[in-house]
Amino acid sequence: MIFLSNYIYYIGAFGLILIALYILLTRHNLIKKIIGLSILATGVNLLIIAIGYIKEGTAPIFSNPNLNPQNMVDPVPEALVLTAIVISVAVLAMALSLAIRLYKHYRTLDMRKIKEQRW
Amino acid sequence: MVNPILLIAVPLGLAFSIPLFGFVSKKIVKLIPIVGMLFNLIASLILIPKVLNKPIIVKLGGFPPPFCINLFVGPVGILFSCLIALIGLLVSIYAIRYIGAQGKQSNVGQEERYHMLYLLLLAGATGVVLTGDIFNLFVFYEILCISSYALVAYLGDKPGVESASKYLIQGSIGSSFILISIAFLYGQFGTLNMADIAQNINSLTSVQVFFPLILLVTGFGIEATIFPLNAWLPDAHSSAPSTISAILSGIAIEIGIYAIARVVFTLFGAQDFFLFLLMLGLLTLLLGELSAFSQNNIKRMLAYSSAGQMGLILFALGVGTTEGIAGGLFQLITHVLSKALLFLATGFMIYRTGSMEITSLQGIGRKMPLSSLAFTIGAFSLIGLPPFIGFPSKLMIVFSVLLKQNVLYTVFIVIVLIGTVIEGAYFFKVIQALYFKELPTQESSDAQIQEAPLAALIPMVILMALIISIGVYPKIMTGILNSAASEFLDRVAYIKLVLK
Repeated sequence: MIFLSNYIYYIGAFGLILIALYILLTRHNLIKKIIGLSILATGVNLLIIAIGYIKEGTAPIFSNPNLNPQNMVDPVPEALVLTAIVISVAVLAMALSLAIRLYKHYRTLDMRKIKEQRW
Repeated sequence: MVNPILLIAVPLGLAFSIPLFGFVSKKIVKLIPIVGMLFNLIASLILIPKVLNKPIIVKLGGFPPPFCINLFVGPVGILFSCLIALIGLLVSIYAIRYIGAQGKQSNVGQEERYHMLYLLLLAGATGVVLTGDIFNLFVFYEILCISSYALVAYLGDKPGVESASKYLIQGSIGSSFILISIAFLYGQFGTLNMADIAQNINSLTSVQVFFPLILLVTGFGIEATIFPLNAWLPDAHSSAPSTISAILSGIAIEIGIYAIARVVFTLFGAQDFFLFLLMLGLLTLLLGELSAFSQNNIKRMLAYSSAGQMGLILFALGVGTTEGIAGGLFQLITHVLSKALLFLATGFMIYRTGSMEITSLQGIGRKMPLSSLAFTIGAFSLIGLPPFIGFPSKLMIVFSVLLKQNVLYTVFIVIVLIGTVIEGAYFFKVIQALYFKELPTQESSDAQIQEAPLAALIPMVILMALIISIGVYPKIMTGILNSAASEFLDRVAYIKLVLK
């Protein structure tokens, strides 16, 4: 149980990443694939946050002289995650707009039926 | 003295100001990419002698390197930024007439979007090659990727949208792998600076190194079109307009190769990994060339040929000696110039005939002599015939392998040469169709087929001149190639320069 409580965020993050990869590999509907991409991005973001997390840590701001730097949460991963969120929003917006266009052309979002481009 | 940060800032700033210029005048918008890339080209050329003397480290924000994001403008960075600016400039001159014509044909509407995305792609590519921070590299790489997804779908037609969505899904999975790997490296070392990570990487066990390394190579491999990861390539390159295919084939996938080389050589210094890279390169080469051979669609053929060329470059990098890496980078220059020329030459051929099938290009050599000549020179150069640039670069790779004096490597180079023969076969098939076959007898369509406009011919002529002049006198490249190769191999010098 101690292992579980210490590593719960890592387990959660990898769980999300694996679920997302499973969705991306097995689902054929483009919208479901986009949901998979969204879950993948969330999992990766959670992983990055978990790396900098300290239990019962404080924000890295010296608002109070008694604060101990040892207990402060690492701010760099949080900055990284902010950037990563912005990037994933851009990718998802792009993907959804492509899905709309694709539906207008083919009247379906099943990627098995959309195969004009062949090897 | 130009501050190297302007190489990234100017195209990025201009890209976002394009919609504003669009309010003033629609004509001015087409010229902005030309201005931006001309600035980049001149600035990079001015920086070359300085950089060859000593790499420039730019510290952003005024902190010393491990704590700040730094730019590392070494020989490799400046070589790539020159290439990006050169191809960007030539393709944007070509696009003046081409994109307007394409847009009218398929009712796309505003041209601003194209020029803005185009400049963003180039800014992202320049950022990737100049940065010295792994997360910063990821951000610029994403700028490059997102704008290339949008550019593939630019025409908004069936094939474009379909291949862009496939490209987007595969590309985003790759980007997530890169981010996971960055998270691991940060968790291990608490730093994102590449020199700082490289300094400490030896303290890890081999399993701990293997996991982030393989994730990074997989992630960047999707953009670099390494064999099992390149399913998106023929669709995306063939359904985009030709200027975009030229940029994707000439710049975007080379950035993937650069990122892999930077990670494997500088960041990890993974000697044991070279043979694996070499095998991957060999597989990519053979499968790319074989698939190209069986194509009837000319743009698909060129796209598969790009995959084959990437395999050859990866093979040369995997040799792992100074000569091998210099040969790989030389082959990369060959590929950038020749493939851009090939896509530009086919651009107006396809536009005039309205078809991408090789059979419909029969006899076009008499109607469009200069475009056909450009295609022929580009093809000969990629095959590696003298006196074009492809000859010295392929020769350099062959020499570097023979210098190894190892039977295994000699077998490899024989396989590479077989790949070259296949490459020759499919290019000669097209050239034969261009010159020695009769036009299909349709009098009505004959009148429309005429030479490409002047704005499209100028970039082709410049590329032809460059291909021939470097091919005749390859010595001008040796200086920068050798220092670029030693930048990749000499990790200690890289670390010292950044962290001193």
